[in-house]
Amino acid sequence: MSSVTLSTVLRRRSDVRYRLIEGEAVVLRQSASEVLVLNEVGASVLDLADGERSVAEWIEALRGELEVDAETLARDVLTFAGELEDAGMLEVVAP
Amino acid sequence: MSFAAGFLRFPDLFPGRRGGEPWGDRSVVLDVAGGPYLFSGLSGVQDEAVRAKFAGLCREPDAGPAIATRVFRAPATDFLDFDVRGWEYTLDMDHSPTGVLLAGLRLMARLDWTPELTGGLWTPEAAGEEWTSVFENYLRVLAAYRLLEAGGVVIHSAGITDGASAFLLLGPSGAGKTTSSRLCLERGASVLSDDLNAVLLRESPHHPGPPLLVRLPFTGDLGERSGGPASYPLAAMLRLVKGTEDRLRPISPAAALAGLVAAAPFVSRDPWRRDALLATLERLARSVPAYELVFSLGGGLWDILQSIPR
Repeated sequence: MSSVTLSTVLRRRSDVRYRLIEGEAVVLRQSASEVLVLNEVGASVLDLADGERSVAEWIEALRGELEVDAETLARDVLTFAGELEDAGMLEVVAP
Repeated sequence: MSFAAGFLRFPDLFPGRRGGEPWGDRSVVLDVAGGPYLFSGLSGVQDEAVRAKFAGLCREPDAGPAIATRVFRAPATDFLDFDVRGWEYTLDMDHSPTGVLLAGLRLMARLDWTPELTGGLWTPEAAGEEWTSVFENYLRVLAAYRLLEAGGVVIHSAGITDGASAFLLLGPSGAGKTTSSRLCLERGASVLSDDLNAVLLRESPHHPGPPLLVRLPFTGDLGERSGGPASYPLAAMLRLVKGTEDRLRPISPAAALAGLVAAAPFVSRDPWRRDALLATLERLARSVPAYELVFSLGGGLWDILQSIPR
């Protein structure tokens, strides 16, 4: 179970490669031979996971880009961040 | 398990360079996608076996450029013995920035970029189906790496054509590549391969056009395929799903890319060439329409393919 919060800082694992196409992301994790397709929010989360910005900063950056209300955006971003961490795509740099 | 330990008695003695005792002084050139490929160091028996198996693709060596592979003897005692019944064969690979090492059933091989791509193949197999099997397994990997350099990819797929354009049918093992190929054959279509096909992107201003589906001499359960042109413009890519009816729906370029990545053999396991592969597959996914094709055994599959706009 993920413990990602607004203050958590995450980054993509070193074996993760991804491509952004028309708002979706295709993610390849080499060590697990997995291929995932993420929607627009998932793609944005993956792109923002640079190991420097917190989840709260991601939400702030996305606020002007995605047409969803602030509450839904925050919930979706937290959910995606947790799911990507559980899937081994992201790792926690700072809790 | 460390590299090659599943196939070799002495993995530490894996050849460190492209050298050894050749089987003989015969050479042959194969005109396969990404090539031509020159094989030298063959015995007379090995040479004739290759020419028999890849009959229409072989020619005598000339002074022209070719991807060169030297073939060497290896003692049979270097290899572990197997009971291969019911066993799924996967080559063991060790990747580095400048090369790739391969170990498998009665074969050791290396691909080196020095800086051009060259190969070395070591085997104890002197003749017969055992030799051509070793040769073909090596050639599959060589072609996959060479095609990536040449702006193409090898894809686990069925390649179908109506004689004017082609369709790439994708899906994991059991998805129905051979079954759908048979259904199309019954309706008069031609099948390039129901196992491995090559796609070449044409982005040069001198050679514009849609990607080409190119025939490879590697087939699955459908057996040997030959005849007709070696390549066709690629009209569409289709993700196969078995069902009880026949229907088609567009899928996004991202979904197409995911299917292509999952279907790209050998190179997709190479961390040093993964980014190049992803970039090539992305260009392919952006340039060719992709669909999910649910098909039944009712025979409507070919009609659906024919209805796709070109």
